[in-house]
Amino acid sequence: MVTRPQRDTRIILFRLATVAVFVILIARLAMLQFFTSENYQEQAIFNRTRVVKTEGIRGVIYDRDGRILAANKARYDVVIIPAELPDDPDYQRSQELRYQVYNDLIALITDGLRRYPPVSPTTTPADNPDFIFGSNIDPAPTLLTADEMDVRVTQREAGSAFKPIVVAQNLPRSVAWLVDEGRFRLPGVNIQLYAERNYPAGYVMSHILGYTGPIPEQTINSYVEQGYSREAWVGWSGLEFSAEKTLHGQSGSKVIEVDVNGREKRVIGKETAAQPGHNLILTIDLELQQTMFEALIEGVNPLRSHSAVAVALDPRNGHVLAMVSLPAYDNNIFANGITGQEYQQVANAPGKPLIYHAISSIYPPGSSFKMVPAAGGLQEKVITARTLLNAPGIIYLPNRNFPDNFDLAQPFVCWIYKLGGKHGDINVRQAIAESCDIFFYKLGGGWPPGEFEGLGVETLAYYAQQFGLGAPTGIDLPGESAGLVPDPKWKRLAKGERWVTGDTYNMSIGQGDVLATPLQIALMTSAIANDGLVFQPQLVAAVTDAESHLLQKNEPKLIREIPVDPQNLATVREGMWMAVNWEYGTATNAALPDVEVAGKTGTAEFFDPEIPRDGRGNLPSHAWFTSFAPYQDPEIVVTVFVYNGGEGSAVAVPIAQRILRSYFDIKARDAAAGSRPVLDQLSGDGS
Amino acid sequence: MIRRQWRQFDWILLLAVLIVSLYGVVMIQSAVQGDPQLATYPHRQLGFILVGLVLMFIVAAFDYRSLGSIYVPLYVIVIALLAMTGILGKSLFGAQSWIEVFGLFPIQPSELAKIAMTIALGRYLATHQETIGQLGTLVGGLVIMAPLVVLVFMEPDLGTAIVLAVEGGIIFLVAGLTLRHILSVGVVGALSVPLLWSLMRAHQRNRILIFLDPTADPDSFFNVQQALVSVGSGGWLGKGYGQGTQSQLHFLRVRHTDFIFSVVAEEMGFVGAVLLLLLLLVVMMRLWRIAAQAPDAFGQLLVAGGAGIILFQTAVNVGMNMGLLPVTGLPLPFFSYGGNAYFSLMIFLGLAQSVAMTKRSQVL
Repeated sequence: MVTRPQRDTRIILFRLATVAVFVILIARLAMLQFFTSENYQEQAIFNRTRVVKTEGIRGVIYDRDGRILAANKARYDVVIIPAELPDDPDYQRSQELRYQVYNDLIALITDGLRRYPPVSPTTTPADNPDFIFGSNIDPAPTLLTADEMDVRVTQREAGSAFKPIVVAQNLPRSVAWLVDEGRFRLPGVNIQLYAERNYPAGYVMSHILGYTGPIPEQTINSYVEQGYSREAWVGWSGLEFSAEKTLHGQSGSKVIEVDVNGREKRVIGKETAAQPGHNLILTIDLELQQTMFEALIEGVNPLRSHSAVAVALDPRNGHVLAMVSLPAYDNNIFANGITGQEYQQVANAPGKPLIYHAISSIYPPGSSFKMVPAAGGLQEKVITARTLLNAPGIIYLPNRNFPDNFDLAQPFVCWIYKLGGKHGDINVRQAIAESCDIFFYKLGGGWPPGEFEGLGVETLAYYAQQFGLGAPTGIDLPGESAGLVPDPKWKRLAKGERWVTGDTYNMSIGQGDVLATPLQIALMTSAIANDGLVFQPQLVAAVTDAESHLLQKNEPKLIREIPVDPQNLATVREGMWMAVNWEYGTATNAALPDVEVAGKTGTAEFFDPEIPRDGRGNLPSHAWFTSFAPYQDPEIVVTVFVYNGGEGSAVAVPIAQRILRSYFDIKARDAAAGSRPVLDQLSGDGS
Repeated sequence: MIRRQWRQFDWILLLAVLIVSLYGVVMIQSAVQGDPQLATYPHRQLGFILVGLVLMFIVAAFDYRSLGSIYVPLYVIVIALLAMTGILGKSLFGAQSWIEVFGLFPIQPSELAKIAMTIALGRYLATHQETIGQLGTLVGGLVIMAPLVVLVFMEPDLGTAIVLAVEGGIIFLVAGLTLRHILSVGVVGALSVPLLWSLMRAHQRNRILIFLDPTADPDSFFNVQQALVSVGSGGWLGKGYGQGTQSQLHFLRVRHTDFIFSVVAEEMGFVGAVLLLLLLLVVMMRLWRIAAQAPDAFGQLLVAGGAGIILFQTAVNVGMNMGLLPVTGLPLPFFSYGGNAYFSLMIFLGLAQSVAMTKRSQVL
């Protein structure tokens, strides 16, 4: 039996319980709104605001005639935003509606691709798998199936439903527009536009231009400090790397308020607009670069040589007119991002396509080095232009300790000796022209001992360095090698051995431990051609802003005056002229009908455990030829190097001749048409 | 004799309810602004309030004691409606719980179940006061409750099923359930959990698991997090009406129903939220007062059932908004958008007023 007072007591208990519940709720409210309020206020701000960074468009790179070498290309992707897809409480119905969107989208894109097939790439890779790596064909459009889309949408819905899912990539612009027009009946579908780096000349220019990629993990902080966004792409190699600061635009930023779906509601505070990067105008002539590429690829026997280089410089100002290194790669393969496996495949291909051998690899220069002892010998008055030295084909260097024991003497031979000949009494011009080794042994190291002293290693090294060997040229590209000019101190430190006269002999003919990049040999040649004035090789001639206003013109930079009298350099040039124009010269194939060419061949022996000696026990050799033209008032230096190419005269000379011929053909054609390079128009002083 | 006197009508209670209701309309307006699909909701809620007022006065005009004679047909009709929802009900929000009645507005049978159960259980326990200590009475009451709770759970509407169970429990407690029986119901309940668990289907179990641990469902977890941010970032006076970044930028979901308390806390701050809570407290205290002064056990139990529902739903809803309790989808009484819940509350209010107008002092 329950009595009335008992029920009343219980109601009182419930009244108390009610008050207790409210006390708890209000206490909790106070805790949230007072004690942890700051934290939640921050979260609310974090929720609704986003800092949006917009990248400035990267600068364009032009050649000296205004041809585009690197630009930006739009890439169109189709995305689905799961939060905006049709939804229905009934799962079946919901799926029906969504599949309708997927299928309509797929039909639209498929139909669009049929009507507007992707345009074929601007350049097609030459059919030369030996020297060109990476295909520059535009990546094919991709499209997911309806089921794949659904899987991705379902996965994403569990997390951030407003983050777009890429369902189709690399669509042609017309197809992207079709989808854009159809969006009113495709809820949740959107178009995303990316600016992608594009290199119209592809593999022809890849080493010079380099490529871009996402900021490398270890350097991300230093880039962010400079105002880059974390998603920005930066130069990874070539000019894209070395001119990063110039090319990269100023990124703009704004703080926006977003709703839960990440949609922009309004801009908070001040908005800074993105600024496009600056454009580069190069000294490169794309047409010459292209011809050089073809001449090199056709002049090199891929069975013998895995790599080759050609360099064309203007000796009067250091402008690099063309510079090709084989094997080449197509830098467009980096534009979409490249997988580690693809990268390894290109990086490790024979001849290392990613390495710019023109500036990064060092080789023995062989006889192309002989101008150094010639010029040094004349300047130091070890010889005169008329001095005759006897070149018997073979000489014997007496043993230091037993000078009278002929059996212990070391033989040094001339290349002609192997063919059963000798050069006899010759002067320095003939010695250059015929590439006489004995003459330069004697000139460099002296012979016979005690009678003719020669230059000596220290002086020879001094002149080699004066001609720019053994130090980077300072060209505006990353990854340049210094090469090596050996001397007694170096040998003692590096090999722990004493320098001997034989070392000086070898060095005098560009063998032994002398090592140079092809660009260094070209720069050495330009010093000879330009009366001893050495200009720093440069690739960037000018910088303009996005509206093509000239911001900066890179004037020629005189880096050295060779301490050799003009008449002595003239004597060397005469020797080089004879090499091409004298019947006994080693480079007669370099001659052009209308222009006088001068040059010097080189056949540089090298040791490579993978390349066996020939049948007569000779080491393999690199083919060199370095030249300038016209003989009077030289305006171009061409240096050709072919790895394991054999005879310089047989392999390198014809390639150089073809490059020189193209240069003068292009020049004559442009003169007839009255066109002037953009470069000259900018400077306002045509040449 | 007992005389019904409009003089005894509890105007303070009605005033508090009306202030809460209109405060609710104002906040619903803020919660739905900018959403064209929901633009008419504030007006609709005003309409619900008017209809609710009419319902309340109609119910208040009847002597609650006359319900004792019709509780059997009422109970049977509600059971029938609940059973029919499976056949006739339109599917809405995934639950088969809406039935068109009179073609005017949809009435949720589960809301009617709250009223039917209060009346039926209240009547049963009021007439069995002498035997309240006996097991038979306890079982009889549970038999009245069981079909309603089970049918509502099958709809499926777990939230309302829990409300019904709690409501029944409160009526039992007020009616004088002995401590021995309270303990034994607890023990039997605890022991039957594994049995019930094994009888349930996978999706039913899942529903309960998510109820107990909202973090298992990323959507609910997100909602609770955003509710906490909304409440916490409100501060003393809030961000201003219509200025809540969490609600206006839609970080807060189901703003006009489940999470409307967060909108109040964000935009009106501690002051606005406490004002709302105090108004609801006034409503409840007035109801307990009526219960305490009711002329008979039936009247007491009727009002206690209504007060219990309001207390429970307020605690669960506000607790959910502040991360204290799991997400259930129970609306805030008189405040959240929605006609059905409002109508059933106003019917309870009418019953309470009917009891208020029949005071003990007038029992001769």
